[in-house]
Amino acid sequence: MKTLLLKGLVYWLLAFLSSQAISDPRPAKLAICVTCHGVDGRGNEAIGAPKIAGMEAWYVRDQLQGFQKDYRGIHASDENGREMKAMADYLSHSEIDALVQWIIQWPVDETPATISGDSTKGRKLYADCATCHGDQGQGIATLRSPALAGQNDWYLLSQLRNFNSGARGSHPDDSYGQQMKLMMNTLTDDESMRDVVRYIQALPAPGYAQ
Amino acid sequence: MDKVLSRRDFLNLVGAAGGSAAVFQVTTALGMTPVIEHSVTPQLVPLAGKKRKVVILGAGISGLTSAYELSKAGYQCIILEASNRPGGRNFTVRHGDFIDEVGNPQQCQFDQAPHLYMNAGAARIPHTHHKILSYCKELGVELEIFENDNRNAWVQDPKFNQGKPVRSKEYLADARGFMTELMAKSIAPEDLDKPFSELDAGLLLDFLKSYGDLSKNHLYKGSTRAGLQSGGMLMPAIKKGVYDFSELLKADFWRFRMHWAEGTDQGSPLLQPVGGMDMIVKAFMKKVGHQVTTGAQVRSIMNRSESIAVEYEHEGKRKQVEADYCLNSIPTHLVTGLIHNFPTRYVEGLKAPGRGKLTKIGFQANERFWEKQSIYGGFSWTNQDIQQIWYPSHGIHKEKGIILGAYVFGNKNGQMWGELKHEDRIEKALSQGEQVHPDYRKHLSAGVTVPWHRMNHMLGCDSHWSQQARDSYFKTLQQASGRHFMIGDQISYHAAWQEGAVSSAHFAINEIDQRERVKTS
Repeated sequence: MKTLLLKGLVYWLLAFLSSQAISDPRPAKLAICVTCHGVDGRGNEAIGAPKIAGMEAWYVRDQLQGFQKDYRGIHASDENGREMKAMADYLSHSEIDALVQWIIQWPVDETPATISGDSTKGRKLYADCATCHGDQGQGIATLRSPALAGQNDWYLLSQLRNFNSGARGSHPDDSYGQQMKLMMNTLTDDESMRDVVRYIQALPAPGYAQ
Repeated sequence: MDKVLSRRDFLNLVGAAGGSAAVFQVTTALGMTPVIEHSVTPQLVPLAGKKRKVVILGAGISGLTSAYELSKAGYQCIILEASNRPGGRNFTVRHGDFIDEVGNPQQCQFDQAPHLYMNAGAARIPHTHHKILSYCKELGVELEIFENDNRNAWVQDPKFNQGKPVRSKEYLADARGFMTELMAKSIAPEDLDKPFSELDAGLLLDFLKSYGDLSKNHLYKGSTRAGLQSGGMLMPAIKKGVYDFSELLKADFWRFRMHWAEGTDQGSPLLQPVGGMDMIVKAFMKKVGHQVTTGAQVRSIMNRSESIAVEYEHEGKRKQVEADYCLNSIPTHLVTGLIHNFPTRYVEGLKAPGRGKLTKIGFQANERFWEKQSIYGGFSWTNQDIQQIWYPSHGIHKEKGIILGAYVFGNKNGQMWGELKHEDRIEKALSQGEQVHPDYRKHLSAGVTVPWHRMNHMLGCDSHWSQQARDSYFKTLQQASGRHFMIGDQISYHAAWQEGAVSSAHFAINEIDQRERVKTS
């Protein structure tokens, strides 16, 4: 009898623990995020939606605010950004809070290399980036510089191109974006952008970023 | 400088047309012209006691077709559908229905009546789409004629006729008249070399006269084909005046809209199910509905040597199903966001097609005002952003009706509509519609907007395959990767048509059937 009880307790505990492990904390409305950004926010190149797993909570907030305040996702050439804006506009403050709590629970997988480039050249170029983004691309929150390591390489390249063309970082309210755009003076040709992205891709992902 | 076309050059072109007709007659006689294939149902070998499980991702037309046919042959099917409803882009919107647009969820406010619906996705079935028509027959889906080419509907273009709409038939009659008069003036028998004899020339002139409704002197003086100015019953018929040809040329109508209903899938007659396109979905669901789980969002697809495993989330729980085969109709651009172990080339293929951005906007009309203008079904053309206004072919002479206030194809335009807020889409559609029907706004309410590239779990309408992408990857995706088969209209040459979806399903289940036949033998 005792054994049976014990067995029952163990089964119950296991069931409880496993249901805890797989219970879905996401707010129903926000389940929409993974339709575009992929399972656990792993990013989806086919739809131009970047990896959000591993993104810092403050950065997610900043950027969603940027979309809502019309300094991201408004440029004519930024089609993916404009698609995101329509979604971001729809979120309330409390939903963004819930969203951030959900996102920081996602596991951070390695991202595959999809961009070719010369990582040796990229390493030299990265020296300028490291001042703000950290020598391992881990990001420096106090400077409002997000982690780059672990992000989809195709997304990094698309954003470098956007900063370079002025599709991002041109709005007067986007002060950190403007800083980044200024830094693009050192990185103006596509080959250099590819080289530096190739270098960043090989840096270890910072893991769970809070 | 533009080349001036001489009379001789012009006639050579006509001669070329005559030549192709002759070729057609010869090839027909030799039996070389394509024969329409009427064998439309796959003949799967029944499993006869053998157990085979198939997990089908997506309960759209391709998924439902697969489940229906495979079940008949004894396969155990499980259909996982991410959204709240089966049907995919076969979506009929009625009173109270939920429209799951990312960032703009809507609830349909149409009144409740059988004829008050909007086919937000698939809306017409060409008479040549034998496979889907065959299922309608087999499953008892009642069909009616869908008017696709209403020549009494309007043509409106700000560049033409000072922006005032003109009946389509009027434009067509005048355009034909002027073209044929011009050709007739170019032809004199003495100028003709072989292969045209005097008899040929005479026939050609008769042809032109008939085609353009020319006078005895081969001049165009207007035509009753354009509709009557007045009379025709108790008083003599009075023809309408004629538009100057240079004025007609100003409208974009002739670029492709004028010939729209002569396209492969657009020629009359077309059909629609009585009561809404989703009657097809409902009919399939009667057969296989017990196999469908809605709200089941796939996380991973893993090919294994002896099985294929699909992990999904349902009601907050993570679940897994292991099967012998997986048929996957999830849009290719969303499959790439899942966890999987597909080969690199297959993934490249999944990324290859672009996303179509077709958009529809529907309104409820409190009065069928278009019928007062003798418009029954079909659509008006405008070269404003709404592109077309559709009038329902059903519910004729009832009090209310659902009108399609925008039918937007072309990605740039679709993207623009998708970026607008719901209220702005409604306002824009109303104000543009007023250019065609001045009293439009006062009749319309309960606007519904469906930009397919923003619909949850879809994020795209028809797959856009460039020729290069097709050449490189279509066959890769059409063939299985291990135990995984991509299906849906996206894996056909008929994207956005149900016939494409059914064809792709048939292709995949025939492949499964072949594998099982080999194992059995």
